[in-house]
Amino acid sequence: MRARAAILVAIAFALTPPSLGRAARPDADALLRAAYDNWRAKSSTSDITMTVHRPDWERSMEMKAWTRGDEDALVRFVAPAKDAGNATLKTRDETWVFNPKLNQVIKLPASMLAQSWMGSDFSYNDLSKADDILVKYTHRLLSSEKANGHMVYTIEAIPKPDAPVVWGKQIVKVREDGVMLGETYYDQDMKIVRQMVTDRVGPIGGRDYPVVMTMRPVDEPQKWTRIETKSAQFNITLPAYLFTLSNLQNPRD
Amino acid sequence: MLAALAWRNIWRQPHRTVLSLSSIALAGTITIFLLALQQGAYGTMKENVLHLIDGFAQIQPRGYASDPDLRKTIAKPGALMAKLDALPAVTASAPRATTYVILSNGTRSYGAAVFGVDPAREIGISNLGTTITNGRYLKPEDKGVVVVGTGLARNLKLAIGDKLTMLGSARDGTVAADVLGVAGIFSTGAPELDRQVVEMPLVRFQSDFAAEDRANTIAVSGQRLADIQASLRALGELAQKHGLVVRDWTELEPALHDVILLDASFSILLYVSLIVIVVFIILNTLLMSVLERTHEFGMLMAIGMRPAQIGRMVWLELLFLAGVGTTIGITLGVGITSWVARVGLPFPGAEALFSQWHMPSTLYPQIDLTSALAGPMAIALSIVVAGIVPYVRVRRLQPVSAMRAA
Repeated sequence: MRARAAILVAIAFALTPPSLGRAARPDADALLRAAYDNWRAKSSTSDITMTVHRPDWERSMEMKAWTRGDEDALVRFVAPAKDAGNATLKTRDETWVFNPKLNQVIKLPASMLAQSWMGSDFSYNDLSKADDILVKYTHRLLSSEKANGHMVYTIEAIPKPDAPVVWGKQIVKVREDGVMLGETYYDQDMKIVRQMVTDRVGPIGGRDYPVVMTMRPVDEPQKWTRIETKSAQFNITLPAYLFTLSNLQNPRD
Repeated sequence: MLAALAWRNIWRQPHRTVLSLSSIALAGTITIFLLALQQGAYGTMKENVLHLIDGFAQIQPRGYASDPDLRKTIAKPGALMAKLDALPAVTASAPRATTYVILSNGTRSYGAAVFGVDPAREIGISNLGTTITNGRYLKPEDKGVVVVGTGLARNLKLAIGDKLTMLGSARDGTVAADVLGVAGIFSTGAPELDRQVVEMPLVRFQSDFAAEDRANTIAVSGQRLADIQASLRALGELAQKHGLVVRDWTELEPALHDVILLDASFSILLYVSLIVIVVFIILNTLLMSVLERTHEFGMLMAIGMRPAQIGRMVWLELLFLAGVGTTIGITLGVGITSWVARVGLPFPGAEALFSQWHMPSTLYPQIDLTSALAGPMAIALSIVVAGIVPYVRVRRLQPVSAMRAA
């Protein structure tokens, strides 16, 4: 009788889904949320240098960026003189650009969102659909490992059925404290299209932050775009006018 | 001797022979005419589509076709064009620079392809300028103006003289922005062109997009598409010397090429059935005459003619029929086709269908050695081969039983 009970318990244990069996494993959704909060917090302002590398040339641009929540973002280029004044505003569903030479605000048509942003390896979609991975994908923890005194989690993000997304799949590496370590982008055929790697993690704005990140298109090894965050502040109060069209055209900051 | 006999034999039944000859001649004439008409239609179709914007062939940087990047350029296109123009087949060459931009008018904005063109050279390649419905085409002295397609003009609510803002990415990675006046609105009838294309002066394009003295492609044209096709080799060698490649019309308009191939393979089916029917008619007639003449063949054998000789005689009769028939067919076919090629064949009511491929509703057959000989030769050859059937039949005849046959 006792033997039978023991077998039953063993079978019940074997049938228990692994996620229940290992309750200590962190939740993939929560990890991605943490990465997003680490990156943008409730609000943020940052000074960033973007370096675009091509086989025959390389150029760097300085920009200032503001974000509010998951949806609003404003990026204004400050240097070099040739680029200064160009700005991109992303609100809930719309992306707008301002060009100082035209002195005009232009709403980006959906057909142009896949185009390169300021000549970099990022597209307007990276800006306008930045929070897609949180809401339009389902997440699954693939593996976890210890590296440099931190737990690093690998999360697979698959688009929800019929979600209007850009990628076929994304693989994200996140540290247990929410620092993003890398992101791999797959197309619909599950081929790697490009890879973003965090080159340096450092303290910024009172937290560990992916300070230097490089985006590389996979089929063109001579091309890359590096984003270096020089300073940032998080969870500050930003004026409401910041994410408006009038501020995009006539900056008050 | 056999030939004389055979020739006399076929005229022993003049009605039957005339009928046989007419069916061969008619089939020959029809195949010549249809083939020439088809080639003419394909030719017009190709040239009209290519005249819109592509040109008959293009010189491009390597890999430009699969990834048309503004940065893949031809430096100093002028030098290369001078060499291209020197080729006997080339009547015109024109440099183009292309990229995708955002065009906007007030609160409306659309993505479009902008072509920087040299207006003076462009008119030798593209007849886009002749499809202007409003305003005018670009002029060599133009600076900050564009011509836009009618669909795009409608979407952006543009009229002649309106200002259009253009925002894109320059070759050096900076933002390219410009305000351009609308000089003309074109309507090619090709929706994708009318909705997505604008043309501006190349010089302005080059300064807007930091691409001084550079082009992305060079389009070339000739008197006829065939002239350019024949000199693709020379074009390729020239391109290679500059580290570039040449792309012919089948690569520039693959969809049109496929449509033509599909249509041609359907019509080959039609020609083959026509030829098969004619061959069976002739064969039937000949078998009848062999059957009728069984008694006569028995007599011939009885007086010493060998079955093989009789077989050859019958085959010769067939050869004469095929030869005379196709000769008449070729003469008639080439004559009629050449005449129609001069006056044209109107298809009233087919304008809408034809305009889809930028074709006029009057077609001109295009006769050459292939269209003149392919059909009749196929008929003649099939008849000669089919003649083996009566030949074999005659060789099996026995003199006595043959003479007893009815």
